[in-house]
Amino acid sequence: MIHLTVNGTSHALDVQPDVPLLYVLRNDLQLNGPKYGCGLGECGACTVLVDGIAARSCVIPLGIMAGRSVTTLEGLGTPEALHPVQQAFIDAQAAQCGYCLNGMIMTVTALLNRNPSPNDTEIRAELRGNLCRCGAHVEILRAAHRAATLVRRDRAA
Amino acid sequence: MLHARDALTRDGVLLIYLPPHGGGPIQEEPAAAGPQQPDDEVEVFLVVDRDGFVTGYNGHVDLGTGIGTALGQIVAEELDVAFEHVRIVLGESDKAPNQGATIASETIQVTAIPLRQAAAQARRHLISLAAERLDVRIDELDVENGVARRRDGGNASVSYAELLRDGHIRLALDPTVPLKATAHYRVVGQRQPRIDIPAKATGQFTYVHDVRLPGMLHGRVVRPPYAGLDAGEFVGNSLVAVDRTSIAHVPGLIAVVVIRDFVGVVAEREEQAVEAAAKLRLEWKTWPGLSDLDRPEQTLRAASSRPRVLLDEGGSAEAIAAAAQPMRRTYVWPYQMHGSIGPSCSVADFRQDGLTVWSGTQNPRMLVTDLARLLDLPEERIAIVRHEAAGCYGRNCADDVGADAALLSRAVGRPVRVQLSREQEHAWEPKGAAQVMDVGGGLDAEGRPVAYDFATRYPSNAAPTLALLLTGTIPAVPNVLQMGDRTAIPPYLYPKRRVVVHDMAPIVRASWLRGVSAMPNSFAHESFVDELATAAGVDPVAYRLRHLDDTRAIDLIKTVAEKAGWVPRTGPQSLPPDGDVLHGRGFAYAVYVHGTFPGTAAAWSAWVADVSVNRTTGDVVLSRVVVGQDSGLMINPAGVEHQIHGNVIQSTSRVLKEQVTFDRTGVTSREWGGYPILTFPEVPAIDVVMVPRPDEPPLGVGESASVPSAAAIANAIFDATGVRFREPPFTPDRILAALNPLPPPAKISSGDFSPVATVPRSQKPWRRWFGLVGAAMAGGLGVAMAMLPGRGMIAPITRPDPSVYAAATLARGRAVAALGNCFGCHLGPDGTALAGGHALATPFGTVYATNITPDPFAGIGAWSYPAFERAMREGLSRDGHHLYPAHPYTAFTRSSDADLQSLYAYLMAQPALAHVPPRTRLHFPFNLRPLLAAWNTLFLRSGTLAPDPSRSEAWNRGRELVEGLGHCSACHSPRNALGAEQGGEAHLAGAVVDGWEAPALTNLSKSPVPWTEAEFYSYLSTGHAPLHGVAAGPMTAVVAELRVVPDSDRRAMATYLASLQTSSLPQPQAESLAGTLLVRTAGISPEATAAGERIYAGACATCHEPNGPALFGARPLLALNTSVHSARPDNLIHVVLDGIATPAHPDLGAMPGFAGSFSDIQVADLLRYIRARFAPAEPAWENLDSNVARIRAGDNHS
Repeated sequence: MIHLTVNGTSHALDVQPDVPLLYVLRNDLQLNGPKYGCGLGECGACTVLVDGIAARSCVIPLGIMAGRSVTTLEGLGTPEALHPVQQAFIDAQAAQCGYCLNGMIMTVTALLNRNPSPNDTEIRAELRGNLCRCGAHVEILRAAHRAATLVRRDRAA
Repeated sequence: MLHARDALTRDGVLLIYLPPHGGGPIQEEPAAAGPQQPDDEVEVFLVVDRDGFVTGYNGHVDLGTGIGTALGQIVAEELDVAFEHVRIVLGESDKAPNQGATIASETIQVTAIPLRQAAAQARRHLISLAAERLDVRIDELDVENGVARRRDGGNASVSYAELLRDGHIRLALDPTVPLKATAHYRVVGQRQPRIDIPAKATGQFTYVHDVRLPGMLHGRVVRPPYAGLDAGEFVGNSLVAVDRTSIAHVPGLIAVVVIRDFVGVVAEREEQAVEAAAKLRLEWKTWPGLSDLDRPEQTLRAASSRPRVLLDEGGSAEAIAAAAQPMRRTYVWPYQMHGSIGPSCSVADFRQDGLTVWSGTQNPRMLVTDLARLLDLPEERIAIVRHEAAGCYGRNCADDVGADAALLSRAVGRPVRVQLSREQEHAWEPKGAAQVMDVGGGLDAEGRPVAYDFATRYPSNAAPTLALLLTGTIPAVPNVLQMGDRTAIPPYLYPKRRVVVHDMAPIVRASWLRGVSAMPNSFAHESFVDELATAAGVDPVAYRLRHLDDTRAIDLIKTVAEKAGWVPRTGPQSLPPDGDVLHGRGFAYAVYVHGTFPGTAAAWSAWVADVSVNRTTGDVVLSRVVVGQDSGLMINPAGVEHQIHGNVIQSTSRVLKEQVTFDRTGVTSREWGGYPILTFPEVPAIDVVMVPRPDEPPLGVGESASVPSAAAIANAIFDATGVRFREPPFTPDRILAALNPLPPPAKISSGDFSPVATVPRSQKPWRRWFGLVGAAMAGGLGVAMAMLPGRGMIAPITRPDPSVYAAATLARGRAVAALGNCFGCHLGPDGTALAGGHALATPFGTVYATNITPDPFAGIGAWSYPAFERAMREGLSRDGHHLYPAHPYTAFTRSSDADLQSLYAYLMAQPALAHVPPRTRLHFPFNLRPLLAAWNTLFLRSGTLAPDPSRSEAWNRGRELVEGLGHCSACHSPRNALGAEQGGEAHLAGAVVDGWEAPALTNLSKSPVPWTEAEFYSYLSTGHAPLHGVAAGPMTAVVAELRVVPDSDRRAMATYLASLQTSSLPQPQAESLAGTLLVRTAGISPEATAAGERIYAGACATCHEPNGPALFGARPLLALNTSVHSARPDNLIHVVLDGIATPAHPDLGAMPGFAGSFSDIQVADLLRYIRARFAPAEPAWENLDSNVARIRAGDNHS
């Protein structure tokens, strides 16, 4: 049994420790936010937060997640109660097909956890390992800037 | 899902349909009293429901462009209902319109037309019903939000919903229905937020990847070795044998499905299917191999082709011959990928009554036809449930994987989900084809063009669904299509035009990719006109305008040039450089003509590109693009703008970075390092100019803005450098090669870089040792040694009662076991601790570790402490036979009595396991254990170490652990000719064991920053020394074990190891040196390693660059890494191929292995780059290619 917390709920999983976290999130916990993109940590589609830090769930064996807290896109907010970063991505219409969107939102969330006032260069550097094939980059960058504003506003409130 | 079929049988609807066979006389049927029988062949376009909602059906699918939103706007507009009350159903194969594949940017321009007509017709009918109900004339009514009201403000009103309360109205589509005038538009033309994004941003959206069915199993396919090829006799004919026993041990395995070259596995869980697919042993025939496709021009010219003349006005050859300046140019386009971010996925459920496939296909109807053929099923028994997938921009593997899933589901009788791997999607997706364009032309004395002789070569792109070919259902006969003609006609008023397309069979598997054949053709047109302008000494924009009569094109070009602040010029290099950085601007324009020749024009597009080119590195930076588009009426201007952004970014990526690489075995670009795409830091500033044309018909916008990209960028690079580039991608190595046509400065010969001292490759200890024994047997010495007697047996005892041991003793024993790595070597089957059986394969036979649990028969339960101590200090078993020195008793002998006693206690307290490991039976003469007595006489120095009073207690403890229990020297010391560890300076000076280099722990370390006590301590505690790297290979388990060792012992070992460094630095100075190295190696891109640099950037940089994104896990910095600076590449090769699946500490995170993703040459390229950039003071590694092949093959011996 491997114990970990996902989106605030604790789970005891009878799964081999070498199984990638991504498969456990998607198949055992039926979460759709994290996406399989490459299995090599190259594209970022599978990004989740591990104890608040961005993590590539496709290359993380479940075993090393024991005792940790994982947040997926579903754990940030819902359509009725959006997380400010989700709100910003919707406001900026920052998706075409949207397959990479999970990774973009999670990476920006992790960045803002660390640095609530990133500049454009810092945002681009943080998203360097998140690939988008549709070319939604312009809207995603707008969303990231807007997210920073919304997050700061939330914190000030 | 609102199935169109359901509406045919429902009351309370108004339904617009296309009658069977598309027509017959148009008639409006009267409202029927009740539902009619469904007509099997009608296609439903629109349903207005009594709940007030409207559903529009379109045969196209949303490929990530937001067409569902735009179609909703069209319906809302024509029907005068609220946008929120419109639902759009796309790509349903049952009763929704069959409008062909979603290609060629046709959805809005072509397939939306009947939907718009249907909405207008529904409104006309509903308003007539309303007039009747309210007893007014139609022209007295207005409709807003689905409610008809008297225009004069009277109270009487009726809603569509009320009008439809009873009955079932069915109207045949009337294409002559009058449409709303654009002047009255309220919804169309407004920026409308996409309807799908909120669900996508919250994980609520169901992509095809997210479809789950009850009882669903997981499948994976195993593709043949001819990666990415779909024509030739070998296709479907290459599988020789399947070894099902190779995966019989995989848990959860349900089935292995083999039909000729189609191979798939099905398992209960996804990771089980992945494991089975990876381990299934298959034997394939050899196949002829691929010719050199990294130089596509030669291959395409050599291929047989059939010329097809699209246009010939006559006299072009004569005109060119007579030109004042004749010009002949060739432009070349590489193979490129769609590169969907999500590899294709599908779920199929095959039942007695038919097949359902959940699919991300671009063309549901064609998939039905293919599945019917593949499975020999009637089409009406196949249903496609279309879900969105990752954006595909053309045909990717979506159809292939649907067919794969269908075959697997049929085999197991349950729903099966098949997910392609990244490597499979990259290798097998039908590529965007390479293309070669030859242009002949020239100028007369006045600088006017004399003719335009254009020939384009395009390998075909039919790409039949793969399973049809692999199963032999259809023959793999190359299909020659007519696809190279898109935008083949130049847009300029050239005299004497001649345009020829050379149609040819496919070379590798290909399909349509955004701007199919038009983007390359336009690259040639727009580069050539730029070359003409330069030759004529005329500004390139002015030259274009001189030779155009299309007023919308002229307007667009002028608008874009003005927006960009275009400054007319007559030659290149008019902008001042900044040192080594040259600046340039380029222009290009195109109207994208798609579809079968002569085709249909989509939106007009024009680019002004600003680039800077670094003449020392070759880097091209696209800093800004001003892009203008005339799209006619824009349904959703926000969607149009988004499409323009997307086209600019994706096409920039294609032009600057993308080319599929091949070797003889097929496609070698199998992940994002081998096929890099544009990243955020490279995205240019984009200024969009959208020309308002509300009164012109809407035009497709999905591809147009890609088409001018390549020429605009090439023209800008020409402006910056004065050098014309005619073959994308414009990568730094190509730029440099062209800017520096002379040979680079004489390279230092390899002799100057030869290793200072080639360290003889140490062999494994056991191998040396066996070598010794063999040699000994050959000589008289052997005979003498063989006569030395063994020693006596020690009497068995009853297993001691573990309860006699104090908890502290047992805890210490646990730590001692960790220090001695007992668990590592004595691992039992299925990971059971200490039960033995762990095998060391050797050329002389296999050595098996013994069971050291306290089982009296299988293990050491009958061993007294003296017997145990003798084994540890002298290498003798209880029965007196010699242990092979794979058991490192030469080190263990240094242990303290207290440590050995506590270890004995600990082992005796463990569960007894009766597992009997295989006996070690070496070949003669190595099976003669008595020979070891002689070896021990020479090399075993029994006994503990006397404490050194001049040193601290910690140092003495550290020495005892490092030299004793820890037996570090067993791996880290080189061995002498007789197989024993060398002493003196060579002690702990590094060696190679099991194919891994155990680096020097002394001053001989190659690490660029000297080891400090803090670094050793960090490494032994966490597996990560920030200034050196992370534990890998055999050291991960060693360090992981050390976590149970008292902190004081880890510190003691660090103290002792640091004392071996004669040139150690204080920690702050070590950190400062590391900082200097990081700065020195930042951003160096050695010219000779362009391929490796690309792989590093795509596959490694995210986790290894010093300034990369913050990610969970360690960030090993290669500029400081011991393995990168070693004389041998072995450790780095191992780590790149196999990764670090089980880290020494959970906080380090894991590293994926790339063995299944990289070719040997790619690994070698990558390592060459890493070595050159991060260890610039070290000589290049030699024979990298063969070393990678050797290590991949598991040969650790050379």
